Amino acid sequence: MYFNSITMSRVIIKQLLPHTKSFCVTFRNPTVSNVFNYSTKVTTTNSNNALENLTDWETLSRKKKISKAMKAYLERSQEHDEFMKRQQFEYNIGKRHLANMMGEDPETFTQKDVDRAIEYLFPSGIYDPAARPLMKPPEEVFPARKAAEFDEAGRPHHFLFYTGKPSYFKLMYDAAENIQQLYNFQDKIIRKKATPDPNGSLNLSSSVWLTKDQLEQVLVETITELEYNNFKLVMQRLVSLPHAYRVKEFIEKYRKPLSSQKFALEIPKPSYDAEGRAFITTYECLRKKARGDVTVIAPGTGKITINGKDITYFEDVQSREQVMFPLIFTEMQDRVDIVCNIEGGGPSGQSGAIRWGIAWGLRSFVDAEMLQKMHVAGLLTRDFRRRERKKPGQPGARKKPTWKKR
Amino acid sequence: MLSRSCRHLCRRYSQAVTFRTIENSPSQHNEKQEGLFYTMNPDLCKQLFGHGGFPKSFQLQTKTFTETAIMVRRPALDLMNCIRASDMDKPVIRYVLYGEKGTGKSITIAHLLHYVHEEGYLIVHVPWVSEWLRRVPRHKEMSNSQTREGLVDLPLDAAAWLIHFKSQNQTLLKSGDLKISKEYVWSKREKTEAGAPLAALVEHGISRVKYACDVVDAIVDEIKILSTNKLCKTFVAIDGFNSFFYPLTRLNTPTKKKVKPEEVTLTSSFLKLTNNDWSNGAIVVSADQLAVPDDHQESYLPRYLLYKKGFEHLDPFVPIEVGRYNEKEFLSCAEYYRDRLWLRGPPEIETELKFTSACNPYRFMEQCAPL
Repeated sequence: MYFNSITMSRVIIKQLLPHTKSFCVTFRNPTVSNVFNYSTKVTTTNSNNALENLTDWETLSRKKKISKAMKAYLERSQEHDEFMKRQQFEYNIGKRHLANMMGEDPETFTQKDVDRAIEYLFPSGIYDPAARPLMKPPEEVFPARKAAEFDEAGRPHHFLFYTGKPSYFKLMYDAAENIQQLYNFQDKIIRKKATPDPNGSLNLSSSVWLTKDQLEQVLVETITELEYNNFKLVMQRLVSLPHAYRVKEFIEKYRKPLSSQKFALEIPKPSYDAEGRAFITTYECLRKKARGDVTVIAPGTGKITINGKDITYFEDVQSREQVMFPLIFTEMQDRVDIVCNIEGGGPSGQSGAIRWGIAWGLRSFVDAEMLQKMHVAGLLTRDFRRRERKKPGQPGARKKPTWKKR
Repeated sequence: MLSRSCRHLCRRYSQAVTFRTIENSPSQHNEKQEGLFYTMNPDLCKQLFGHGGFPKSFQLQTKTFTETAIMVRRPALDLMNCIRASDMDKPVIRYVLYGEKGTGKSITIAHLLHYVHEEGYLIVHVPWVSEWLRRVPRHKEMSNSQTREGLVDLPLDAAAWLIHFKSQNQTLLKSGDLKISKEYVWSKREKTEAGAPLAALVEHGISRVKYACDVVDAIVDEIKILSTNKLCKTFVAIDGFNSFFYPLTRLNTPTKKKVKPEEVTLTSSFLKLTNNDWSNGAIVVSADQLAVPDDHQESYLPRYLLYKKGFEHLDPFVPIEVGRYNEKEFLSCAEYYRDRLWLRGPPEIETELKFTSACNPYRFMEQCAPL
């Protein structure tokens, strides 16, 4: 028989409990066992009073609607809300304290001031900025949680809930459906022999696909490398279709524009010297241990002055090429003059600093398209690498002693 | 195959191009040819520069290009005009070529040598002074001077120079117009009579290497007398002249004593020649950074390189700067290299090369080599 196979304790429970339909569930899922304790209670009262019985059924039916999972979720979410409230409260208190410490008005103390105060009070030389002390509002520190994915009866909202990653698979599903639609549309076009829509085009050059981390943030789900690759594969197939512009909105959702606007905003206006020539001076051109300033003067004849000497300041070809690169790249070599003062470091550091300084100064004299190109070529990127220290016990920064068996 | 060789021939003898001039005689060169290349006759080249005269890298390049092409440049043209215009009765004028490393001082001297050879000058040319004073091969022949106390002879170097002198002035020496003024007694049995041709003196120096330094000294004296007496016009060219004034040479006596440049007999002879106590000639010397050690190359200006002593020795002189290529010269040179297949690739390459070489002729040549 069925009950023979179960353990002794369970047999006892069975004797206490009346026969219900969900009996088997009890065995498998001990977390839900409370329900049945409760229900036993109900059944006992049931027999005692007929009046109470009626009201009890009402509460029972209402209670029954809230599934265990829902209940647990509600509990958890309440706990989380309380926690966040507490954190928020503490943060506000801390902010006021900080403002008082810094001798500023606590009412107008912003997050920016907090960051500044923390940097001042806890100076840290740790290389990675993420590891330095911080004080942020709790909603930034603690990750967002998913909202309830099921209703009160415990039934999931999402049709792909049981895949475990509903939003990811929904995305894949949508992509596939879009592809199918585009195929159908194409067939229709061909059948009608219609001319393609001339203004329909997709510009993908100014944006890139979301990275895995970004996609995870959008979906609020962790995905594996394989799943991310599948995502890219599907999206690329979608984009490669001739009428992909019809689902532009869908595609744009998963692309991130290249940050080019940033540079356009900050470009300074050149000032003018006594002869009416525009010039821009870039201070703090740094690379390795070299530092200096670079002045770009336009219009010019391509004259370069480095610490009072011409390009022969650098003996080797590589350094000269470094200085030359931004000028040749923007084809401004005969149209601007360059004056640099540079000190510290060696030739390669100095030339690197000058290269960055020239590129940075040239932003004011080139058009937006060239600026974009310069950005892509890496001319506007600072090189923050420094000399790595030597480690004890080995001959260099990374070099290990020669391995010898014995 | 036929078309290729035809193309090769066309290229090799292409004269109708913008970087070349068909005017191969330097005496006819003027501003119109500035920045253009002219080709030197190989036989003449061998005669004039067979024993040195071109820098080594240029020598190699002439071999690669199978021709000796020299660019007509402003300093050489200026010097030619000066020599042409100068009064030969007055004491000789001294010209000092100076400039950065690799800008073509030696090539300018070579161009001038070609010119004065055509004009019929007697050429006294020292290809590279540091060869004597600073270059020490394993067996450097050195001996104490017999005639002058406390000085050092470099007999092999002197003999080599005599050969160079002889080959450069073949025609003049053969004609036998140049007679020596006094009798030179070398030893009990050997002597050179007064009135003997100058060639005999040179021959004696070459055959009796022991007396080569004394012969050089004698030749210097004789040349001064001869040209003052208008028997010949003399052109003196000394490359790396500042080496004579650098405080030390690399030479050591057998007793391990450091030799100073003024203790070398050749130095005293050529310093005597560069005095302006004679006429009917011209002196061109070059002050070169490469002639002194690395740690004394801070400036290329003559005052720095010649030191006070050398500056006063030469004063008064005409300084002539040999500069880097200008725009026109650079383009012409690039064209020439393209013609010789020394430089290939897209035309934009020239902008970059101009920048990275900073228009320095030597750097330009070097950077084109792997292209």
